[in-house]
Amino acid sequence: MGSPIRVLTAVPICDGHDSAINTINLEFIRHGIEVVYLGYHRPVGDIVRAAIQEDVRAIGISSYNGGHIEFFAEVVDLLRKKGADDIKVFGGGGGTITHDDAKLMRKKGVDEIFFAGTSLEDMVKFVHERYGKPRAKRVKPKSGDQELAHKLTEIEDAKGKIRNPQSTIRNTKVIGFTGPGGAGKTTLIDELVLRFLNKDKKSRVAILSHDPSVIGEGALLGDRATMINSQNDRVFMRSMATRGQAGGLSPATKDCLALLAQSKFDYVIIETVGTGQEAMPFQQNGIVDQTVLVMNPDYGSRLQLQKIVMLDLADIVVVNKSDLQRAKTAHTEIEQRLEQNRRKQRLLDTVAKRHRDAGVDRLFDLISGNAKDRRNGGRNEQARKRGRVS
Amino acid sequence: MSKLGNVVESVEKYNQFVVDQVKRARTDKDFGRDLVGRWNDIKAKIPTSRTPTGIPLPRLALPEIDEAGEIARYLFGEGLPGEFPYLNGAYREMYLEPIREVESLEKSGGAKKSAAKKIAPAEEPTRLFSGLMLAEDTNERFHFLTAHQRTHRLSTAFDGPTLYGIDSDADGVFGKIGEGGVAIDTVEDMVRLYDGFDLGSANFSASMTISGPAPIIMAMYIAAAKRRFGPSVVPKLRGTVQADIFKEVQAQNETIFPIEPSLRFLTDMVEFTSREMPRWYPISISGYHIGEAGSTPVQQAAYTLSNGFAYAEMFAARGIPVDQFGPRLSFFLDCGLDVEYIALARVSRRIWAIGMRDVFGAGPKAQLYKLHTQTSGRSLIAAEFKNNLTRTAAELMLAYMNATNSCHSNSADEPFTTPSEEWIRLAAHGQAILLEESGIFKHTMNMLSGSPGMKAVEHAVEAAILEEFREIERLGGVLSAVEERYQRSQIQNAAHRYEQQIYDGTRPIIALNKYRNGDDGAPEVKLVRTPRKKQQLQVDRLTKFKKKNAEKSKRALDKLAAVAESGKNCFPALLDAVEACSLGQITGRLQEVVGRFRPMV
Repeated sequence: MGSPIRVLTAVPICDGHDSAINTINLEFIRHGIEVVYLGYHRPVGDIVRAAIQEDVRAIGISSYNGGHIEFFAEVVDLLRKKGADDIKVFGGGGGTITHDDAKLMRKKGVDEIFFAGTSLEDMVKFVHERYGKPRAKRVKPKSGDQELAHKLTEIEDAKGKIRNPQSTIRNTKVIGFTGPGGAGKTTLIDELVLRFLNKDKKSRVAILSHDPSVIGEGALLGDRATMINSQNDRVFMRSMATRGQAGGLSPATKDCLALLAQSKFDYVIIETVGTGQEAMPFQQNGIVDQTVLVMNPDYGSRLQLQKIVMLDLADIVVVNKSDLQRAKTAHTEIEQRLEQNRRKQRLLDTVAKRHRDAGVDRLFDLISGNAKDRRNGGRNEQARKRGRVS
Repeated sequence: MSKLGNVVESVEKYNQFVVDQVKRARTDKDFGRDLVGRWNDIKAKIPTSRTPTGIPLPRLALPEIDEAGEIARYLFGEGLPGEFPYLNGAYREMYLEPIREVESLEKSGGAKKSAAKKIAPAEEPTRLFSGLMLAEDTNERFHFLTAHQRTHRLSTAFDGPTLYGIDSDADGVFGKIGEGGVAIDTVEDMVRLYDGFDLGSANFSASMTISGPAPIIMAMYIAAAKRRFGPSVVPKLRGTVQADIFKEVQAQNETIFPIEPSLRFLTDMVEFTSREMPRWYPISISGYHIGEAGSTPVQQAAYTLSNGFAYAEMFAARGIPVDQFGPRLSFFLDCGLDVEYIALARVSRRIWAIGMRDVFGAGPKAQLYKLHTQTSGRSLIAAEFKNNLTRTAAELMLAYMNATNSCHSNSADEPFTTPSEEWIRLAAHGQAILLEESGIFKHTMNMLSGSPGMKAVEHAVEAAILEEFREIERLGGVLSAVEERYQRSQIQNAAHRYEQQIYDGTRPIIALNKYRNGDDGAPEVKLVRTPRKKQQLQVDRLTKFKKKNAEKSKRALDKLAAVAESGKNCFPALLDAVEACSLGQITGRLQEVVGRFRPMV
């Protein structure tokens, strides 16, 4: 069986009509398609950048607020300019797109426009037929990001048949984020990215994010929709489906991460799917320099804490949503739990949803401060001490 | 506990109170006799209308009851129109034709002549939503729409860039300029938008449908009015700005700042307008977009009411007296074809009145659920689109049966274009035919109120709304529930079910899944599109404005940012800023201070 088709979906800038695209996303996923969902109110630049980094087969745009002729054309043109016209564009919308408009849009390079009343089945069929065949020979990449994106696709689709040669050359610090679903990992990472970007005006960040999927089915890769700060030319983000692997990461994660770690980024952030108590996603992976466990104050009884393996392993534990009533109790209980470990684990409280949150600032200092140490020769020191380097 | 929990209790308590009054009327002889006496008195005082065909009708119809318990159930449980708990209407006479002098003379032999004369002619309830291209184009449309109206009630739609608080010269928005609404970047656009209308007149009111950047747009409106009529016009301004942040986050996705600062800027504005502009409605608590996003009618009513109570709690917490802000709150509901709509607004009006009186201590004026209704856009389809006239007519009927204070009827061509003049005219005429030509609403209040079926719907709807309140309260109140995406996922789920029902045929949509003639071609209707030349003109004007104000705007923005940082009320600084800054400049600067909205998926 071939790899799942990856498409990116979005709603154009100044348009908040996301009801149709939500339904379509679900239908695509049910039929084996992996959907990178970028959200609503998205500018052309964000859409094209994301499509190139995610190396999707096609972009589906749902437009209800008018201006579609210009918008679709701008997407097609920018793809072309970036040497990425192997990524195709289709879309649809309410009755505001007329048949004459559609004709014009096709002439400008849009593959297909669906009108109100088109069945979901027809759309799924279209995507499978038009974008389901294996890719022809890849065009020569026009940018470093594009080259990287192509390589990541190769690794992901090879299902372990291509191994990225392990290299000792490292330019980057790798930080792993894990924790239960709903703890706010994605928001927290996005807030940290904002601080990375502001601190050093030249630094680049890579993010490898994961969402769950089972073999043979699609996945909703939706982190980009909420990561508003990470839609930036200085951020390279790749969303991966776990494709049936348990534990929070995908079969290709290790090799993709190795590739990113050798690339020209100052920081590489890896985010697991929402994990269970027994998960230890980074344990056997020596590439991760620092691990952050993000907790929700509502973890249940104190007893539950004893069962969370990552509490033994994480370098930093964050109690996010610390504005919730239970947060103080959570902090105290987790603090006691960490003391049992007798390691210098750090415990921080954050409210990631809050702009310029002081807790997130502290977390940022902790992460970016360590980066300096590492560059002075302390690479992977913490992980090595714990015997985790393979 | 948020106040919503108290509201649930207050409604339950009030319902028990009604039951107790019924019992008392039947057991306590004096009380019963008083009630019957009052009832007979009310009936005796009802004036008579005469129809064009000559038959006399009471201007208020009442149930044919004479037993004290039933009278108690009616007077306490429903109330006369204009009386607590306002089930039958916020006002006594709503859409009735003014009494003709000759009739009242006939009736009362001259004694009531002066009383009859005092009834001021009501404003036409018609308020049509409009906005297209540039300010001057919308202005022309406004003049066209109000050409034959005594009162000028304008309702303004803004284009996408304006709704998202960005400028027309922002990257990638060129094609969106003037699409779906009017493009407003600066106070100069705002001056052009309402040119030729007397903004300070008692016969003029402006409604502006915008929420995310509402305080900025409101400041522009005030600044534009001052430029044209001087500072003394400010307390005279009448109108509404939507400014409903909760429903944006729950359904419509036009939020530009994170929720908490958005609510703070809103409260800043409300604090200002409720003090300085006593005739302005600074928020329109809107279920329309919740309904359009696919909610059930009960969800629409429940989320709208609970949002309203959450705002009331917030404004009260800021220290604004409830009798100051309460009368300046208004509501906006969607009216579709589901049976709940026969009583949705009636029930909402009753719950609001009880909650405001018994939980917030509001006086009579702050108890009124003043309602604007719009017929459902979602119920209209492109296939055989002329059927949409019938759909809208049925919805109008339902809206007026709920005694809405004003109403917008959708154009039949709306599913595929910005409404054209021909279909707008038909939509407006639909209302005139119902209210002015037909005798259904103009002779008698309560003409269609209180049928057994309507009562059954009322009870079912009220119970379901209170159940929704309890769920929201369990989640910690409206703000917590919003942050946990409760309302959003409920709405999305309902939307999905609706689509599913259309797909499997359990929800018949004529000419779509039933009685379909197979012709799905787009109707041959002329589309209203903004020409590129106009879009370029808007960008050029903005460039000129920014150049002209380069120095001044820098200072104003610094000042605004400082106030925003300080936590003080930002509205006065906004009033200054709009004189020299564009919408996008202001939004951008405030976002630096408070952050951007992070979408919920």
